[in-house]
Amino acid sequence: MTEANRLTRRNFMASGASLLAAPAILGAGRALASTNKLTFVTWGGTYRDSVYEGGIRSFTEKTGIEVTIIDTPDLAKVKAQVMTGNVEWDVFDAPGAMGASGSKEGYWEAFDEGLFDLDDLAIAPTADLAPFYTWAGGIAYDPSKKGEGEYPRNFAEYFDLEKFPGRRTFRDRPSETLEAALLADGVAPADLYPLDVDRAFAALDRIKPSVASWVAATPQTITLLQTGEVDFSYSYSSRVRTTGEAGAGMAFSFDQTLNGLEYLAVVKGAPNRENAMKFVAHMLSPEVQAATMELLANAPVSKGAVPLLSEESRKWLPDMENANNALMNDAWWADNFETVSRRFKEWMLL
Amino acid sequence: MNRAAELRGAVAFVTPATLITLSILAAPLLYIFYTSFGGPDFSFRAYSDLLGSALFRRTLSTTLIIALSASALSLVLGYVIALHLARQTPRRRSLYMVLVLLPFWTSVLVKCYAFTVILGRSGMVNEFLTWVSGSQVQLALILNRIGVLIGMTNYLTPFVVFPVLASLMAIDDSVYRAASVMGAKPVRIFRTVTLPLSLPGIIAGLSSVLVMALGFFIVPALLGGPRDAMLSNLVDFYTRETLDWSMAAAVGVLLLGMVVLAIAPLSVLRRKQS
Repeated sequence: MTEANRLTRRNFMASGASLLAAPAILGAGRALASTNKLTFVTWGGTYRDSVYEGGIRSFTEKTGIEVTIIDTPDLAKVKAQVMTGNVEWDVFDAPGAMGASGSKEGYWEAFDEGLFDLDDLAIAPTADLAPFYTWAGGIAYDPSKKGEGEYPRNFAEYFDLEKFPGRRTFRDRPSETLEAALLADGVAPADLYPLDVDRAFAALDRIKPSVASWVAATPQTITLLQTGEVDFSYSYSSRVRTTGEAGAGMAFSFDQTLNGLEYLAVVKGAPNRENAMKFVAHMLSPEVQAATMELLANAPVSKGAVPLLSEESRKWLPDMENANNALMNDAWWADNFETVSRRFKEWMLL
Repeated sequence: MNRAAELRGAVAFVTPATLITLSILAAPLLYIFYTSFGGPDFSFRAYSDLLGSALFRRTLSTTLIIALSASALSLVLGYVIALHLARQTPRRRSLYMVLVLLPFWTSVLVKCYAFTVILGRSGMVNEFLTWVSGSQVQLALILNRIGVLIGMTNYLTPFVVFPVLASLMAIDDSVYRAASVMGAKPVRIFRTVTLPLSLPGIIAGLSSVLVMALGFFIVPALLGGPRDAMLSNLVDFYTRETLDWSMAAAVGVLLLGMVVLAIAPLSVLRRKQS
């Protein structure tokens, strides 16, 4: 058993990108049953600061549990930890499809009964995934460049090269991109899933020549716009909102958005399982949701948090009642991500 | 010293390094082979899927083209530098050698970001050209093949300079004198004396840069476009995005096989030379 463990760990290290995490993994398994510690894997930069200010600081004050924050949720590392039984992480901040894949693979602990106030949550948690917030993806542009009406405001217009010529961006992954293509091609948001993959690729073929960048790193969806490398960009309301605070405000169209969920999940076999459960419940409580989302500029899942938000923040919330908006189906992506992803990568290359 | 003592000595000196190599290199490598065949449920699925996929074939040819062109570029640039270094006084030469080594003081990641600043659409090169020509110049130098080749050649050139320099320095000066006494012009001397005698250095340099070039990861990811993905980027795709580790391992095994194939003829050539 130890031999197999060692080898699997090495296999994990074979991924160049994972090399840095090796000391962390090798040192795992030392945790005790009852601790005052917790490891939370979340996104870096200002996101991390926002989550700390909004929720982690008050959690430590309330419970005395020290939270170690690690950057960049990576499902490959979860797989390595769960496979080898050397689990180092407790709580994982998972974007929709990643959370659903992890759930399908059995990487998450089931939540304790009665952990959440179900009446307060706009979206119900599943057995092992707790919705943390909803984000809105859509069309961003620099309002200082052109006049009113010269920017695409919905996906159909984003795909209309005749009326709105210019360089565009898309993400370098099929999730979100195929949804946008189908919405542009006239599929009703309610009939989006299961995705008509062939039709989506046909629509994408039309705009491929004017996609200047298939963006891998989220901040680039904005920086490419700010530096004038592109005219319109597929970006996120939260990212666009923070550009306003920095001075040079970009604009975001709320006429049509793609909305997705971010989840919190507890890693299977987490060394500080009890603390992790408490932490997830804390992050979903109305006050913490309001404080965190005020900073993150995403939509809280706690109904009680909405009135606590500032007037300015409420303006940036995606309108869930808008019939043009679509909600990402993470379960569909968990089942289809690999095959569609491969086709998408091939399509990008050809 | 008798033979038995010699052997004992050899064992004492070589064993620690061998043990370390076996445990940190051979064992995981074997495990990668094992994973590429599906682990406990043995199958060729990963290999047949890979060979049947257009993504893999496309990435394979991109990898070969990029690796060969980057190696060729660094060979030419490195050879010229080595020729120049060989002609300097020892004191000057050691100074210049430090300059050749200078790029190693910064990580390849930092260098990639530096290249983004220098070569970007409104980077230093384009700004300068705009200023010189008086009209807006926006050459696309990154996020494409050019960016990848610039980044890789910058990294690989020093690896050519040193072995070639060693070969050049080993050439006896009297051979040059004899050639010029017999009336050979510089070009002829280069073709018939310098080039053949520096061949061992060329082969050594070329084989090390080719091996490195085949496995580049960061440079194509940061300076390349979507069409410049190399095999190591594909390993990353299967490891992190689709979590299909037997595919990732199979790509790794095929990459290793290619390195062996690329190196075998060069080592045969080297043995022939010596």
